[in-house]
Amino acid sequence: MISLDEIQNLARLARLKISPQEEESLQKDISSILDYVGQVSSVPMPDKKEDAGPLHNVMREDAPRADGTLAGKEEALIEAFPKSEGGYNVVRKIIQKDE
Amino acid sequence: MNSLADLTIVEAGKKLQAGEITAVDLARACLANIELRNKELNVYLEVFGDVIAQAESADKRRAAGENHPLLGIPLAIKDNILIEGRVASAASKMLEHYVATYDATVIKKLKEAGAVFVGRTNMDEFAMGSSTENSAFGATKNPLDPTRVPGGSSGGSAAAVAAGMCLGALGTDTGGSIREPASFCGLVGLKTTYGRVSRFGLIAMGSSLDQAGPLAKTVEDAQIIYEAIHGQDPLDSTSIPGDLYPARTPVKKIGVPRALLKEGVDPDVLLQFEASLQKLKAKGYELVDIELPSPSLALAVYYVVMPAEVSANLARFDGVRYGLSLKGDTLFDDYAKSRGEGFGQETRRRIMLGTYVLSSGYYDAYYGRALAARDVLTKAYVEALKSVDAIATPTAPLPAIKIGEKQDPLSMYLLDIFTVTANITGNPAVSVPMGTVERDGKQLPVGFQLTAAHGDEAGLLALARQVE
Repeated sequence: MISLDEIQNLARLARLKISPQEEESLQKDISSILDYVGQVSSVPMPDKKEDAGPLHNVMREDAPRADGTLAGKEEALIEAFPKSEGGYNVVRKIIQKDE
Repeated sequence: MNSLADLTIVEAGKKLQAGEITAVDLARACLANIELRNKELNVYLEVFGDVIAQAESADKRRAAGENHPLLGIPLAIKDNILIEGRVASAASKMLEHYVATYDATVIKKLKEAGAVFVGRTNMDEFAMGSSTENSAFGATKNPLDPTRVPGGSSGGSAAAVAAGMCLGALGTDTGGSIREPASFCGLVGLKTTYGRVSRFGLIAMGSSLDQAGPLAKTVEDAQIIYEAIHGQDPLDSTSIPGDLYPARTPVKKIGVPRALLKEGVDPDVLLQFEASLQKLKAKGYELVDIELPSPSLALAVYYVVMPAEVSANLARFDGVRYGLSLKGDTLFDDYAKSRGEGFGQETRRRIMLGTYVLSSGYYDAYYGRALAARDVLTKAYVEALKSVDAIATPTAPLPAIKIGEKQDPLSMYLLDIFTVTANITGNPAVSVPMGTVERDGKQLPVGFQLTAAHGDEAGLLALARQVE
């Protein structure tokens, strides 16, 4: 069974605020899901030399193009900011003076 | 139900072209059914205000000489597919007011074809679920029995077609999210070969698994939507060229993994499954017993790979650039509060699970192993499909479940036992209605699933027509 400490650490890593009640139910649920998915370990690990199979990288020219870009959509993007000022996204001040 | 909304896309297309009806008539028929039942069933999160105007514009295009099988056809769109200028919320509080700034490629293609978008349909939040109960905006009810779920995560899209609130719909399928609702609502649902349909403009869930695809009343209708939306897209580098996989010649053989159906499948579902197999046999198909790795291995792989990708994909929702933004005492609290309150319970659970399997101490034991097992499964499917045209299983082990019936997450996940494999291996798969089973005096539809070789949508859909 996964520990409550581990659940709290995961929540921190995932940037999720979780209530104490949910921590407990997650402890139970995640443990039982992990028990189930643990069967993946029954499959032997392949020889390291084996490559990624038919997968290959898909590259494109590093050049601007007309389709699918957000050119001309600046206002709509700014509109989506939680708080904006003069076309800028206003975010929290994260560098603070030492007291 | 209004008779015009009962038409298939093919029938409606013929009437439109013959001038017997207009796109406006079709749109009105769907809107009438929405008026009648949307409140009760919670199918659409939003019905667009300009449906009639869109239909009028389709009628004008036809008058000007255009003719596409989808011109003027009312379609429902799942709420995780972006349409420029409209809200796309993924049924989440996180994106409740998010307005899309561009069209998904599938939407762009449907606009070119002249389809009419009726509205955005309810779904499990961020497509995570098998019942549409995980929506932040309430569960959708199955139009065939409102005490039951329509399936998920594309439950709203399936219910919209089944209730005559559109003629066809787009869903997305990450682990069965098109096929399982198709099974529960008596529809055809197609999950294409990975890469066949562009993912550009879909709100990402599991990027190595997601595909958009059609839900429709018939195989022919599903094929019309599929043909309109598929194709390689420079904006999605995982989309594939049409000739990536060699064309196949059918051998009229269907593989049946009988050993895998011995446990966990409802006996009534199995009876219908056998009946459909016999139907194929009567049409000259040979049924071949095949051996495949257990579907529970595929489900285990899925519940490692998918949450891992979810935790990465959903990391972008931080309340800084768009979406729900809540303030706490510190920057960390801003993030944790926005995400803790913006995401629903199942979404939080999967992010936590994904964070766990990707964390340094467990990465090899879970994620690394799951990738190796994924490879084993893919090879087994490629091998099996060398000697048969398709592999047949039931789509889901059960008919539609009651709302609230499955509270334990793992038992809900088991509904996907037969559908996840095609996402893990990238094969195309379709669910076709195979009759009904009786529950509480009601006839509930169940689906027959066919899985074909990579790239063989043509063979898959031709075969699916034989099952109909």
